[in-house]
Amino acid sequence: MTSEPARVDTDWPALLHDNSRTGGLGIRAAKAPDHVRWHVRMGSSVRSAPVLRSGVLYVTSMAGNLHAIDVEKGRQVWQFQAADHIHSTPSLSGNKVLFGCDSGKVYAVNCDSGKPVWETAAAAEVWTSPVVRNGVVFFGGADARMYAVDVDTGRKRWTQELGGRVYSTAWVGDKHLYLGGGDGKVYCLDVSSGKTVWSTTTGNGIDSSPAVAGDMILIGSEDFFFYALDAETGAVRWKYETGLGISSSPAVWEDLAVVGSKDGFLYAFEVPGGRLRWKMQISDVVTAPPVIASGLICIQAGGTQAFDIATGSVAWRAGLGGAVQSAPVLTGDAIYVASNDGEVYALE
Amino acid sequence: MKWPEAWRSLSGIFHSPGVNLMDRRTFVKASCVGSASLFLDGLDPKAFGDVTLPEAPPIEVVHGLRPAKSPLGMPGLFPGRVVEVADSKSIVRNRVSQPVVRDMIERGMKELTGEPSAPAAWAKFIEPSDIVGIKINPSGAPACCSSPEIVREIINGVQSAGVPASNIVVYDRYEYEIDVGSYQALLPPGVHVVGIQDELVDSGYDPNVYCQATFFGEWENRSYMARIVAHGLTKIINVPTMKDHSASGVTGCLKNLGYGTFDNVARSHRSPFSFTDPLIGVMCSVEPLRSKAVLHIMDGMRQVWHGGPLTQVQEFIHQAGILYFGTDPVAMDTVELDVIEKKRRDEGAPSLWEHSAESITNNGMEFYHDPKKNLFYRRPGHIASAGKLGLGVADLSRIDHGQIRLG
Repeated sequence: MTSEPARVDTDWPALLHDNSRTGGLGIRAAKAPDHVRWHVRMGSSVRSAPVLRSGVLYVTSMAGNLHAIDVEKGRQVWQFQAADHIHSTPSLSGNKVLFGCDSGKVYAVNCDSGKPVWETAAAAEVWTSPVVRNGVVFFGGADARMYAVDVDTGRKRWTQELGGRVYSTAWVGDKHLYLGGGDGKVYCLDVSSGKTVWSTTTGNGIDSSPAVAGDMILIGSEDFFFYALDAETGAVRWKYETGLGISSSPAVWEDLAVVGSKDGFLYAFEVPGGRLRWKMQISDVVTAPPVIASGLICIQAGGTQAFDIATGSVAWRAGLGGAVQSAPVLTGDAIYVASNDGEVYALE
Repeated sequence: MKWPEAWRSLSGIFHSPGVNLMDRRTFVKASCVGSASLFLDGLDPKAFGDVTLPEAPPIEVVHGLRPAKSPLGMPGLFPGRVVEVADSKSIVRNRVSQPVVRDMIERGMKELTGEPSAPAAWAKFIEPSDIVGIKINPSGAPACCSSPEIVREIINGVQSAGVPASNIVVYDRYEYEIDVGSYQALLPPGVHVVGIQDELVDSGYDPNVYCQATFFGEWENRSYMARIVAHGLTKIINVPTMKDHSASGVTGCLKNLGYGTFDNVARSHRSPFSFTDPLIGVMCSVEPLRSKAVLHIMDGMRQVWHGGPLTQVQEFIHQAGILYFGTDPVAMDTVELDVIEKKRRDEGAPSLWEHSAESITNNGMEFYHDPKKNLFYRRPGHIASAGKLGLGVADLSRIDHGQIRLG
């Protein structure tokens, strides 16, 4: 059994809620929004997902800014300028917000002041979201390397060369971390050394980020298939063919895994055996990851949409939040979405 | 992404002192490039028209710096030559086969150039010191866009000519479209993948190189050339897809290059009228784009015969498994136009030349699902207009169209 990272129940500190990648709210429901409480213009596109803690929303933008937004007032608290465009979804650890940028730099910025704490660098752009586990930050870069650095200092612990660019945010457990590579391989690395434990080849590159359900790694590939791999060996337990490539990252809730495909469908699989419970066409193309609240799946595809988790039927749609790779933050009372057009919305 | 410093110095920083702007300024009148006389399989385009289309206004062109004189610029080393390589195994169940397209590209390059080996063929166009741009077309991603498998093989070919990965740039206008195609993840490490333009910021364009014309009273009547083309790159390999286009008739070499290099191009068509003819060809004639675009490899793995350029409707996307090679974009687009026109005829769709008021709709859903409907009166004459500007051969009977079937 793969060890589960601890859940954080009150905030939304990382891509798809937390490092367990459930992308969910637990038992809290996300009610249908009926109005925009506020919206803030970032001045450039937002390609990443926001994260939230203690009433502050952190958003990165293509202009190279990290914005901290007070969600009560809908006003910016501070802004940090990075060296280049940012596609990386920030993550929160302690009093630091972590993210990568297109120059290859990865920053740790103080959550309260917006001042830099440390920075480190890959040799090419970092689009992945840094993942923090047991005092170590893990991130991959377009230089085909996986990095582990100290969360307090940014000092490198190890670097591991892989076979392709890394645009897949790692899932990190106590002993192993998992990610997909542009070379089409799903990698399992030792968290202490970075050494490859196993790798499994798919039919094309991977930019989907894995989730873990029980002892299975779930991930999509540009070869059109959604894979469930044995976490210990990398053996394919089951796979399912969609109509086009899969960039979307799966979210897992109980025995259900939900993922979008570029064929425009959202798919819900029963994790143990891979049976398709339902699929629903929700747009022309789906590349963003879904998130899950109690009874609902929420995803940005065109606008922001919510579906009944049991049947896939439409619960509600909001014409805001057009996105390629962003994902909403659900609090139960509000939904925060960022969009390609550079707007961040608070929906209630 | 930021440009490496070495590239900035190569660029000469955007403008050379001592170059008289007027030396680079020309006017193109529509009457010089009008599409009245065309050679399309014996068809007279006027025969399809029952609507009088407005004449395009003159277009003012301010060129950038032309590279040293070279025979490689369009129409390039092989005017009027198009090599077609087909293999039915190259696309199976909508997946492009990497090893099959590898063989197709090797064969096509050798056939085009007459060289005995693929590296020698690539070396006809590329030198080790070049900074090579690969202009993809991701605008229909994911259903129909430049196949990453083909782009990978082109990268291999460029590297075989001695160019390091760090001097190869895969680019197009909008990064979010590149993102939908997952090119960033799928291409080899070290190669740069660049979106010229943030959706909200036009900082990637050179204000000193432009085409200016007022088509519909628009307040911004200039289209500026991408800095990466004007300054950063020394050679461009064009990788268009094969699609019909609601405004220009087809989108192939010329449109991918012209409208993918300049900004503010959507202003050339406002339903139901389009001035893509002559603007597409005029843009391709602007220096240094004309001199730098040395090779065109058209991705005909998938051929869109209705709903282009953005359709995701698989019903109108034919999995043909063909690649076209050439240096003459006009000849290649003339062949493409002929192929798409025939496919539409086979499918019972109206000609791309039809200018019937009944065909026009403003309903996007109707357009995407009914091949008899369109958003504009299409203007495929832009290909012949480009021919008149000296960019290549638009007469099918004069095109040396070699066809090879591998499997």
